[in-house]
Amino acid sequence: MSATTGVRPTKGYLMEMKRRIGFIERGTEFLKLKRDHLAKELTSSIDILKGRRGSLLEELRVAYRAVTAAYISLGPTEVQSQAKSIKSRLELEVLPRSVMGVRYPYIKVDKQPQITGELDITLSEAAEKVLSVLDDILQLAEYEARAERIADELGKTNRKVNALENTIIPSYRGVIKFIEDKLDEESLEELVRMKLIGGALARRRG
Amino acid sequence: MSPGLDYVVIRSHAMMAELLSPEQIRDLAERDSLASFVEQLAETSYGEISIAAEGDTSIALESIFYQKFIERMMGVVDLAPTNIGDFLQSYYYLRFEVINLKRIIRGMYSGLSTSKIMESLIPITPYKVESYEALVEAGSLHDAIMRLEDTPYEPLISSLELTEKYDALWPVEIALNYLSAMVVFRSLERLPQNDRGLVRRIVQAEADVENFLVAAKQRSAREEARSPEEMFPTTYDISYDMLREAIMADDLTAVINSLSPPYNEILSPLYEGDVALIRSRLRQYIFDIAAGGREVNDFGFNVVMAYLIFSEIEKDNLVGIAWGKTQGIQSEDILKYLAIPQ
Repeated sequence: MSATTGVRPTKGYLMEMKRRIGFIERGTEFLKLKRDHLAKELTSSIDILKGRRGSLLEELRVAYRAVTAAYISLGPTEVQSQAKSIKSRLELEVLPRSVMGVRYPYIKVDKQPQITGELDITLSEAAEKVLSVLDDILQLAEYEARAERIADELGKTNRKVNALENTIIPSYRGVIKFIEDKLDEESLEELVRMKLIGGALARRRG
Repeated sequence: MSPGLDYVVIRSHAMMAELLSPEQIRDLAERDSLASFVEQLAETSYGEISIAAEGDTSIALESIFYQKFIERMMGVVDLAPTNIGDFLQSYYYLRFEVINLKRIIRGMYSGLSTSKIMESLIPITPYKVESYEALVEAGSLHDAIMRLEDTPYEPLISSLELTEKYDALWPVEIALNYLSAMVVFRSLERLPQNDRGLVRRIVQAEADVENFLVAAKQRSAREEARSPEEMFPTTYDISYDMLREAIMADDLTAVINSLSPPYNEILSPLYEGDVALIRSRLRQYIFDIAAGGREVNDFGFNVVMAYLIFSEIEKDNLVGIAWGKTQGIQSEDILKYLAIPQ
């Protein structure tokens, strides 16, 4: 079935089509702006992720080595017993944030764990190293979720722009051209008809 | 040498043969998996080990190694003549009981169930308290500590006020450390003059290193830190002034460098914050003292002490290896923290 099936070649319909394509083109422009903005946000998020991930992995290796050393030195039961004596634990909230209508989780730390005092120095050193990377881990998790959601939305927006630019708008243009051609053809026929009638009337008078 | 000591010395000599050699420990640490470690262990005096399918494997293995060490320890400590036995009981039974009391206190503080607290305890018979169950079932931390009235741990009751004021356990733990150190030092003084040398060196090294580590930890809260005289019952080669210097120092390098050997060597990993390495160096040092003691006199109390020390170091090494193998840690990372004689 062609795009012009069921099209009424009238001036009213042509005006409606032109109004619609104008609206669609404006929408497409907005979507393109959104796409560009999302691409910019994604690029900057990825740059931050690349930089932070590298340094975080190294910090995590150091923290993990310290935890390993504490376990080997104190034994697993002692480590677990000491770790349980920490009453003030990490408390956080996951709140929604939005960029260009894309919602992503934002982590708000309400309370940092208090590790001083309760732990043996071996475990305390390990806990401090883990605690020092905790903020970075949370921020990285936030950026990863943000980048993931932005990339997802960017993909969707891109598909919408492509569909509008390559399918919807050309099909509307096709319909408009078809109607305009039809209307031109009709007005030419009308002109020829009028000329023939004019000629016939002139011959009758003459 | 008393007849009682003769028997314990001969028994220690005999039991020494059961201990794993450095090569065996290294071989166990180098096994590529936990299954291979358990398989290799079956060929030693530990024999076949069966581990329950559910639960934490490393904790199950830790319990087995503790059990073995306690059996060995009791086989010597309970037979030792009174003056030596008093010291060994203070040094081993009291030390383990203090660890158990700390675990009970921590468990009650964090609201663990009675069964979970009991599972975390070292499987020894209560030494100075009547029953661990009675403490765990006290209902609250306050009541549990109050139940220590009329025991040698009674001074802990006075630390309750601070514990409740700060809602923290460190006042009770510091009081327990102080108390156990005092008991060990007093029983050390009752040892026969000839046997005191080796033990004194071991107890002194342990006390000095632990004091220094506690002082180093106090640096982060130096404004609130109490004076070293209040915190540490006694010091030997690392004086109160040195400990005070350590608490006030921003950089410990100069303080550690100013210490006499072996402390400057043992404590040097503190520069890089690798405290676990300090403990393994301390174990190594204690091992060397015990081995040296045997060279001086292989037919007296030195042999008993060496056997107990070698046995405890073996237990610590096996616990570390078992945990490392459960977690898939590289052999070289495990070996770094073990005390294996060269």
